[in-house]
Amino acid sequence: MSFLEACVFATVLCGFFGIILKKNLMMKIISMDVMSTGVIAYYVLVAARGGLFTPIASDVQPGSYADPVPQAVILTAIVIGFSIQALMLVGVMKLARDNPTLESSEIEKNNTP
Amino acid sequence: MSNILSTGLELLTQRIAIADPISVALQDTAPVAVVWMAIPFFVGFSGYLLPKFHRYLALGIALISLVYGLQQLWAPAPLTVQLLDRFGVTLFIDSLSGYFIVTNALVTAAVVLYCWQTGKSAFFYTQMIILHGSLNAVFICADFISLYVALEVIGIAAFLLIAYPRTNRSIWVALRYLFVSNTAMLFYLIGALLVYQSSHTFAFTGLQDAPTEAIALVMLGLLTKGGIFVSGLWLPLTHSEAETPVSALLSGVVVKAGVFPLVRCALMMEDMGPLLGIFGVGTAMLGVAYAVVETDTKRLLALSTISQLGFVLAAPAVAGFYALTHGLAKTTLFLISGNLPSRSFQTLRQTPLYAPLWTALAIACLSVAGFPLLAGFGAKVLTLKALEPWQAIALNLVAVGTAIALSKFLFLPVATQSKDAAPHAMHQSFWWAMVLLLGSLVVANGLHLEVYTVTEMAKALLILGAGCLVHLVLVQRLALKLPRMFERLEHLIGMMSLTLTALFWMVLT
Repeated sequence: MSFLEACVFATVLCGFFGIILKKNLMMKIISMDVMSTGVIAYYVLVAARGGLFTPIASDVQPGSYADPVPQAVILTAIVIGFSIQALMLVGVMKLARDNPTLESSEIEKNNTP
Repeated sequence: MSNILSTGLELLTQRIAIADPISVALQDTAPVAVVWMAIPFFVGFSGYLLPKFHRYLALGIALISLVYGLQQLWAPAPLTVQLLDRFGVTLFIDSLSGYFIVTNALVTAAVVLYCWQTGKSAFFYTQMIILHGSLNAVFICADFISLYVALEVIGIAAFLLIAYPRTNRSIWVALRYLFVSNTAMLFYLIGALLVYQSSHTFAFTGLQDAPTEAIALVMLGLLTKGGIFVSGLWLPLTHSEAETPVSALLSGVVVKAGVFPLVRCALMMEDMGPLLGIFGVGTAMLGVAYAVVETDTKRLLALSTISQLGFVLAAPAVAGFYALTHGLAKTTLFLISGNLPSRSFQTLRQTPLYAPLWTALAIACLSVAGFPLLAGFGAKVLTLKALEPWQAIALNLVAVGTAIALSKFLFLPVATQSKDAAPHAMHQSFWWAMVLLLGSLVVANGLHLEVYTVTEMAKALLILGAGCLVHLVLVQRLALKLPRMFERLEHLIGMMSLTLTALFWMVLT
């Protein structure tokens, strides 16, 4: 389990450094997606600590259940993250009309007083 | 279909009934709270279909919130609502929430009045109502996930409001805001999960037994969202480049959405108070140091917002009142500065201002600087009384700094005859907004009359006098420009990792 946890944190850090180091605005947004994927994976991982079975009421008793609460919560966060990403991509699309290279430092230079 | 729905509803009500003894004994006022929280969202979306009435609806929503918030100020006991179960949605409404809700209501009402005759589209008002509703949700929620959802909705609504003019610059500023806030919220989510892992609940109370990393991560998210200390340096550009009514909303109440949960946690947990005290003083000093040398009106106001947030954070016990006075005064200042002939102080010194406009400007400035007879004075005195000695010394210095910075507005020339004044095109509704905001500032004064002692008043006048003197003698001639390097996107995001390290270290020791 700790190996998986390390992988999750590696994903989060990769995304975080991608946001800082990537020059292209599009790549920055994708990096943010990678980071949020890491966070989502961490929720799923923590939910699966107690067991892997889906908690559905039935006659069969499969044993240890996965905790449904973090999974339910992260579903909300996935939807929100998705909508924010869509919104940001629309913004980038608008910016791309005048800055075809989408280089963030150039856009920043042009648009800060 | 309806069969399934009704069974589902039945199950849900049963679930609420058996879940917890607290939710069985839901107080009578709990449904009122839930309905009041949901109204803005319903009205916001359905009102979109009736574009003609949208201004009235927005104003109505703000007034409903005002009534509800005022009622909470004098509520005998805090209201706790627990829906579903201990991991479900929890709400906690007390007088602290009341102050923030009243701030939100008054600021929204004033901004709606300001926009009344400017022909904004229904879309704009929809976003404003949704922003108002999600802010209300932040001010009453008591668990990390409701808070997360509300903060993200605020982020989206604020993004759309900032990007409303659809110029390249506004889109970039909005995009940058969403970038910073979303990255911060991802850290916050990890923190929230760690809280759940240790205590199997997302409620704020779970933070007590949470590991240090959880506290550090959650705090990082909220500090960044609230624009506090170095992680809040996204704020000056965002607030100064947004449209006038939007920046008034952002500075007046949206930043408080990040501060409120911190204050709430500090009141719940003894250990967090000193930690936030350090951040509060640091923020106050950083903001004011930038503000004193700033030459642009809107940037100065945004930087002063950072420093005032420090005051709010430094004394959690009186944070509500301080936030109220700051929200009212800062909204006034932003609305007026959007109507000044120029944004540069150098130009403004050569163009005499229309006298009533200058009067409104001066009243708001004096309130922020803590002049007696205005609510800012009471808030400042109460805050300074609630502090440790070392904090009080630092914040007194900051108060002088605030007076210096705002003297730049006070010493602008006034036109003696109205024909000398710079051309002004204010609508009647603009003055209604001013009357509402400044009137509330005077009325709010009545909430804490006990602060009016001779020593405190003398001290306030002394601070203000010292500020004006320093401004006239020194700052007016100073031409210093602080670097803006730290406000670049990469630096803002990178600063988060440094803040996180610092937080870790502070929480551990």
